[in-house]
Order: sequence, then C-alpha cells, then structure tokens
Amino acid sequence: MKILSVLLLLISFSFSAIAVDTSSVKTPTEDLPSTTPISAKLWLERLSQALQNLNFNTSFVVVKNNQAEPYHWFHGRDEDDLELEIFATLNGPRRDILRKGDVVSYIEPEITPYSVESEKISGPIPAILSGDISNIEKNYEFISVGRSRVLGRVAQLIRIVSKEQDRFGYWLWLDQESGLLLKLAIISLKGQLLEQIQFTHLDITDSLVDSLKQLKKADLPPVIDVPSTNKDHKLSWQVNWLPAGFKQIKANRHRMYSTKQPVEFILYNDGLVDVSVYVSVSDDEQRKVEYVMDGATVVLNQVVKGFEISVVGKIPSNTAKAIADSIGTSATP
Amino acid sequence: MSESKFEKVSSLVDNAHDNEQQSVELFEQLSIDSVLGETWSRYHLIGDVLRDELLSDISLDLSIQIAQAIADEPTVLAPKKAKLLNSVKAKIVQFAKPFGQVAIAASAAGLMIIGVQQNVAQHDIVMPSQVVQTTPLAGFAAPVSFNTQSTSRLSQKQLYIEQQRRFQALLSDHHQQVKLSASKYNGQLLPTLQVEDSPK
Repeated sequence: MKILSVLLLLISFSFSAIAVDTSSVKTPTEDLPSTTPISAKLWLERLSQALQNLNFNTSFVVVKNNQAEPYHWFHGRDEDDLELEIFATLNGPRRDILRKGDVVSYIEPEITPYSVESEKISGPIPAILSGDISNIEKNYEFISVGRSRVLGRVAQLIRIVSKEQDRFGYWLWLDQESGLLLKLAIISLKGQLLEQIQFTHLDITDSLVDSLKQLKKADLPPVIDVPSTNKDHKLSWQVNWLPAGFKQIKANRHRMYSTKQPVEFILYNDGLVDVSVYVSVSDDEQRKVEYVMDGATVVLNQVVKGFEISVVGKIPSNTAKAIADSIGTSATP
Repeated sequence: MSESKFEKVSSLVDNAHDNEQQSVELFEQLSIDSVLGETWSRYHLIGDVLRDELLSDISLDLSIQIAQAIADEPTVLAPKKAKLLNSVKAKIVQFAKPFGQVAIAASAAGLMIIGVQQNVAQHDIVMPSQVVQTTPLAGFAAPVSFNTQSTSRLSQKQLYIEQQRRFQALLSDHHQQVKLSASKYNGQLLPTLQVEDSPK
C-alpha cells in the first residue's frame, strides 16, 4: 500500500511538472520564475474570451449543503454579434435567467419577471470569469496548479487565491481544448470544500442552438425603471473595516424582500465577491451572534444595543464578524 | 415434588400422558390427595374456558370464599408501612402520568416539526419561501403543550424557526440586491418593493 501511494504521489508530481512545462511553452516570451502566475492569468483571460464568444450548450450541477441543483446553460452570439444567454434551473419551480445583449431578465416564482440593464449576469457562475480578470488581480493571486481529467477532458486547474487570509479560494478546472469552465470549487481557508459546480455535459457548436434562436425572437419582461434619487443614501452608520479591495456599490433604505422589514443597506464588492451589510432597529436589546452557511455564503446576524446587524456574502465567518463589529455611527451626521 | 405432580396432572388432563402405568398410579393418588383432586378439576375448568366449552350455568362460587377471607382478615388499626409507600408511589404515578403523556405528545410534535423542516430544507434553495410556511405548523402543534416545560421547549423551536426565517430573508434579499446591483443604475427598486424615503 505504502509503495503504491508513494508511486501515485510521484506520478502526480511528475504530472504537474509536465503541466507547468507545457504551460510555459505556451508563453514563450517569459522565462522567469514568474511564468506560472502569468500563464494562470492567460488561462483566465482565455476563459473570459471563450465565455463571451463561443456558442455552447452545457449542463452543470451546483453542489452545496448536500444538495445538487442542476442547470442548463446556453450561450451564443448571433450574426449581428448580439450576445444571447440562458441559465435555466432543471429541478423545482422555474428560475431562469435570460440575457439579450445588455438586458438581463430574471424569472422567479416569487415575483413578477423583471429585467435590468446590465452586461453581467448574477447567477451561479461568478460574473468576473467572463469579464476582465485583471480587476481582481490586486487582491487575488492566480496559480496554475496542474492538469487532471474532468468531464472526460484534459483540464487545467487554476486557483484564484486571496492574498489576505480573509476570503475563500476559487478553484477552476478549464478545458484544455476550448478554455471553457469544466468545474469550479469554492474552498475555505482550511482547505474544506464549501460549494462546487460540476459540469456534466458540454457541446460547442458553430451556430446558435434553437433555444437561443427562440430567445432572440422572444420579448423580455420590461426593464425596471429605477429612480436614481436614492442611489446613495447618507446613512447614520458606517462600516469601518472591510477586507482590502471591497468597494461600496450602493447604499439604500429598502424593505426586505420577503419579510418587508425596513432596513438600511450597503452592498460591497471586490470584483469577485458581493457582501451585503444590513442595519435595522430591533425589538431586542441584545442577541448574540448567529451564523448560518449556505454553501460558501455566510449569513451573520446579531443585535447590539437595539440594532440588528447582518452581514451576508461568500466570505469566511471571521471576516463577516470583523465587518459587523466594525460598524459604528458615521462621523458626518 | 408437588410441582412435578401437578405437571403430571396437567399432562393427564391434556391427554398427553404416555406411560400407562404412571397414569394408573396418578389416578389412585388423585382419589386420595384432595389438593391434587382440586387441581385436577381446576385444570379441566381452565381447559374448558380455553376451548370455549364452558357451560353457561357454571357457578364459580367465589363469594363464600371471599366473605370467609374478609372475616379471617385481622383488623389493622395502623396502616402498614409498605401500603403507605405504595399509595404514595401510586399518587406520584398519577401526578406524573399527564406530564409524561404531554412530554411524549410534545416530542412527537417536535419530531413532526423537525421532519417538516428537514423536508423543507431539502428544497429551500429552490423554494426559499417554504421555510416561512413552517410557522403555522408550530401554531398547529401548540395546543398539545399546556404544560410549562414543553411550552418553553416549543418557544425555543419557534425561536429557531424565527431565526431560520430571518436567515432565509437575508439570503434572498442579498441575492436580489446583487442582481439589481448589476444594473447600470445600481437600482434598488423591485416591482413589489417599496423604498422608504422618510429618514429615521
């Protein structure tokens, strides 16, 4: 047994060595020790190009909390260079995301379908993967790890790792041939698997698939007309600590989506991860901190001095706690 | 000794006595020994009852014996210690019985809630609103618990449900806000949502 495992270890080492070799061959301009990170970035750029330009028809399963959610994903560009995309859940009530160019429609059972004007989809696949990966270069390192076999194909494993120990790592297995995503895993700081997306089938076609042709003809739900007046509310509190790279996307006052409870809200984003901070008046005076993990998404909730504070996002619970504890009254009234 | 004798009588009654010689001896003994004779008739009676062949006018004349037994009983002026203990025990049992039943009922209700929640939990990603629907179920189970102990346990459960509901609401609102944040306008309005403009 021992000999066998040592042998396996040796083989895997040599495999990764070969992988590094070939990837450095792909970038002949660099001969420095830094070849690996650059090739990892090239891989991610290639992924972004593939996600934007290829016609593909694929299925994947999101695995989290011991559950599997299957999706169908279509993407393509028509003759007029219009980008068409469909994410469709396959189990349970329909939850579809449709995209036609810059209009993204969300179809969900709870509320009437609506569209927003946006060039990125907020779905199971992080939007940055089809965007400009250099946006997150400051806070994350890209590491090319080695090759393995995923979905019956040769796959290159790329790790997106936070430079500070305050965010989760993303592992991506990319198709050697097309550059497309074959598997994605979100890994905790201790190396625990929190959430993963496993592709189960991938077809790359020359022309649009039928469902995308239908989408092209279909009318999307109306785009929500958003008043820009309360875009950035001045709130009476502020978050005094955030992991490096997080920027405020918006601040507002709204009613909670399902409970209709009024809350004050700030959304932050570091290019890869979204973090929401909620503050509201509570009936309780104190309630000790409670956490729940939905896959990689942590929900933190506590009541301090009559104020309910919540933090939601794909961040470790320590980071969420640090954000929640840093909240104080804002200096400017 | 007598045990084996009774056994022999029993097998004789059941007609399961194989040794001819022994059964003859047993019959002789039966005619002499009155205890054995009574046993013999009792066994036959038992057999008749079991086979449902009892005559309707059979009289088990117990009343005379009972009256005799009562007459024989010595008059006790102080209650026996053992009896007192027994009655106290009985009272405790009487007292604790409803609690136990309630506890069982409450735990059954608890199990039901947990079961429902687990069922719901399997779908909560697909249908997050279902978690909210567990609350009426808690109200459903509430009448079962009219004792203080289990109400505190139930309210803990309600607290738990409340907590789950809170988490679910936060999760879905977070997802919604992220979807809307992608909008060019950074919008925060949903068709079904109202924005509070009045500052606190």
